[in-house]
Amino acid sequence: MTAIDRPDPERAQPAAADLAACLRLVARGDEDAFDAVYDQVTASVFGIVRRVIRDAAQSEEVTQDVLLEVWRNAGKFDPGRGSATAWVMTLAHRRAVDRVRSVQKESERERRTAAADVPFDEVAEAVESSLERERVRRCLGSLTELQRESVTLAYYGGYTYGQVASLLGVPGGTIKTRMRDALIRLRDCLGVAS
Amino acid sequence: MRHKRDVHTLAGPYAMDAISAPDRARFERHLDRCEECAREISSLREATARLAAATAVTPPPALKARVMAAAAATRPRPPGQEREAVRTWRSRPGIRVRIAIAAGAVAAAAAIAAAVVFGVSNGGMRDQLSQAQASSQKVAAVLTARDAIMMTGAVRGGGTVTIVTSHSMHELVFTAAALHALPASRGYELWLIGPAGDRAVIMLPPARHDMTGPVVASGLRPGDHLALTAGPAGGAARPAGPMMLDVVL
Repeated sequence: MTAIDRPDPERAQPAAADLAACLRLVARGDEDAFDAVYDQVTASVFGIVRRVIRDAAQSEEVTQDVLLEVWRNAGKFDPGRGSATAWVMTLAHRRAVDRVRSVQKESERERRTAAADVPFDEVAEAVESSLERERVRRCLGSLTELQRESVTLAYYGGYTYGQVASLLGVPGGTIKTRMRDALIRLRDCLGVAS
Repeated sequence: MRHKRDVHTLAGPYAMDAISAPDRARFERHLDRCEECAREISSLREATARLAAATAVTPPPALKARVMAAAAATRPRPPGQEREAVRTWRSRPGIRVRIAIAAGAVAAAAAIAAAVVFGVSNGGMRDQLSQAQASSQKVAAVLTARDAIMMTGAVRGGGTVTIVTSHSMHELVFTAAALHALPASRGYELWLIGPAGDRAVIMLPPARHDMTGPVVASGLRPGDHLALTAGPAGGAARPAGPMMLDVVL
């Protein structure tokens, strides 16, 4: 392994390139490639789905749906529009959010409000890459408090910006702007190629 | 262009799915026209993907067997294979397509527009629809309502749907082509989801010649979404399982 002292998305994330190659094979119905995709993405998919949905059984169900969607629609992945990881995680997060918004009753949702406030470090047991988690934690820490709360409630809590605004008692317009600023800062902090 | 700037500020909420369905649809229409915004969204999604990766937890090992078995029983869509009709839409992964026609147009606009689209996509559907239009005054009334709006889109898991709504009549007409076939014990169910609550609307009849419907659904209220689920043939108590379609009406 050569030392890397500047961000180089090609070399710093070799797995990402592999994942894109695997998805091309999956699109042709290659079950071995899908097996490899499963091993690469499932912990992250299950992690974010469970973080948003909370209920373990429902999270497994949604994770299964997401992976089957990857299997069926791998041909739709367009490398010109972002990384394979981002494609899969976008599917996973949206599915999770759709599930909590459409299925859960208002009372269940209110109970989740408290749950969404769990500090980031207390999140998960058995986390895969503690290095990655540490880096994300550090970058979240570099945000202003309002930015961090907006991102945490929206992305991990599954709330709309309007709900985040009323939870935090801040105008909706402000929250929208803070969310964009926060993601730009996170993107730069994490060294994501833009 | 105040409106445009308003839409643009939705980039952050959109990248985190922190957006209501109507705003999501509005922003996706904007994304279709704004290459720079699409680039920004894709870069922000690299960041949100890392937020997801940081939550990674190993799922129960049994999940893998279930997923692999389900995959083995499902055919992936070959790359580049889009339905004929989709070619006329600007299709992009993750972006739902919505075509709205005929607001305030002449009475027959929706029916004509429907015929145009069905002509592009599927002759059988056109025939079926015109038959239904002749035989069912209810369907025809919605299709020709002054405020009829037609939407077409893809179903997650396969198939395309066409929906014509009339808010003044509180009704909609739903048709689908090439929905994934279900075993006899299961069926597709339509739901209206909105401020008035989640309402089961109708179990779709089994497909004939790959075509489902048209069916008329009543009780449409402002702010409703239309959702499609697959569940027990007798109907479910509430919309469970994956939303195969979720359209803002």
